[in-house]
Amino acid sequence: DALLPAPQSISILSTNMKHFLTWSPVIIQGATVRYSVEFQGEYEREYANGSWIPIPECSLTTATLCNITQDISASVAYKLRVRAELGASRSPWATTEGFFNRATTSLTPPTLRVLADGHHLLVELADMGPSFQFRVLYWRKGQESRVQQKVLEEVSSVVHLDTMEAGAEYCVKAQAHVEAINRSSSFSPTQCVRAQGDTSMWLV
Amino acid sequence: TCRVSMSMAEIRAGFTAIKANIQSRDPIRTLSILSHPHSLHKVKSSDRCCITHQLFTFYVDKVFKHCRTEDSFVNRKISSIANSFLSVRRKLGQCREQNNCVCGEESTEKFKQILANYEGLNVTSAAMKSLGELDILLDWMEKSR
Repeated sequence: DALLPAPQSISILSTNMKHFLTWSPVIIQGATVRYSVEFQGEYEREYANGSWIPIPECSLTTATLCNITQDISASVAYKLRVRAELGASRSPWATTEGFFNRATTSLTPPTLRVLADGHHLLVELADMGPSFQFRVLYWRKGQESRVQQKVLEEVSSVVHLDTMEAGAEYCVKAQAHVEAINRSSSFSPTQCVRAQGDTSMWLV
Repeated sequence: TCRVSMSMAEIRAGFTAIKANIQSRDPIRTLSILSHPHSLHKVKSSDRCCITHQLFTFYVDKVFKHCRTEDSFVNRKISSIANSFLSVRRKLGQCREQNNCVCGEESTEKFKQILANYEGLNVTSAAMKSLGELDILLDWMEKSR
C-alpha cells in the first residue's frame, strides 16, 4: 500500500513557558489518520545513543497539536518528531528543523488589577504558572523618582502594596520573571488609582 | 564559590515523582553510594564547587544511561532530570574555570570513594541505587547554598 506521507509544517509554539508542537494534517480520503510524537533532549543525543522518548498523551492521537510542556523541562536543546499512522502503516518521521530551547519562549507582561481599598493600595495578578515570579513597581503619582518595588515569588490572592495618603493617586506596573531561564517580560501598562479622600468627622 | 542559578525545584519535583518507584528497584538497602563511609556534609566548603561538578559529571556520564525502565512516565522524568543535570553541569564547568575551583585532597578522596562504591555493584544496580540517592545530593546542595 502507498506509503503514508509524513506530516508537514511541523513547528513549536512557545509562550510563557508553555510549549506546543503543531503540524499540518495528513489527508487520506475516508480514513482517520492518527499521529505519534516523540522528543529527544541534549542528554539523549549526547549520552543515550540518540534515543527518542515517546509522549503517551500524544500517541495515536487524531489532534494535530501536542502539549510538550511537561517534557521540555530543562534549559537544553530539544528535538521533536511526529509521524502519521493509519492502521498498520506508518509515515516517515517529520523532525523539527534545528533545536528548541525553552529559553526562547516568548514572555508576555502579566495581567494585573490595581485596587484602592480605602487607604490601601492592593494589586491582583493573574497566575502564569509555577515557573513565574513577579516584580511589581509602585509609586505616588508625581513622585516618579521614588519608585518602590515588591517581588512576588508566587501569586496568592490580592497583595497589599502600600498605605496611601488620603486623596493621593498611586500608580502600579509589573513584569513577569522566570528564574529557570533568567529572563523577564516587558512591563504591563501602568494602572493608577486614587486613595479615598479624608472623611474624618468634624464634631461641632 | 560557584553560585549557579539552577532550577532545583524542577529537579526535586521530577525526582519526587519517581522516587518511590526507583527506590523500590534497589534491593540492597544496607549500602550507600554517596554516603559511605562518610556523608557529603563532611566536605569542606572550599571543596564544594569541585565535588558538585564531579558528582554532576558522575550522574551524567555513568548513572542516567543505565536507568532506562519499562515505565514511560519514569523514563520521561529521568530524561527531565538528566537534561537538567546536563544544563547545570555546563554552568558548573564554566564557573570552575572562571573561579579556578581547585579540587582539594578531601574532595578527590571523597569522589574516589563514591566511584569505588559504584563500581562495587553491577552497573544497573549501582545506577538505580545512585538515582535513588539523588535526594541526598539535592539536600546537601540546598543546605550548603
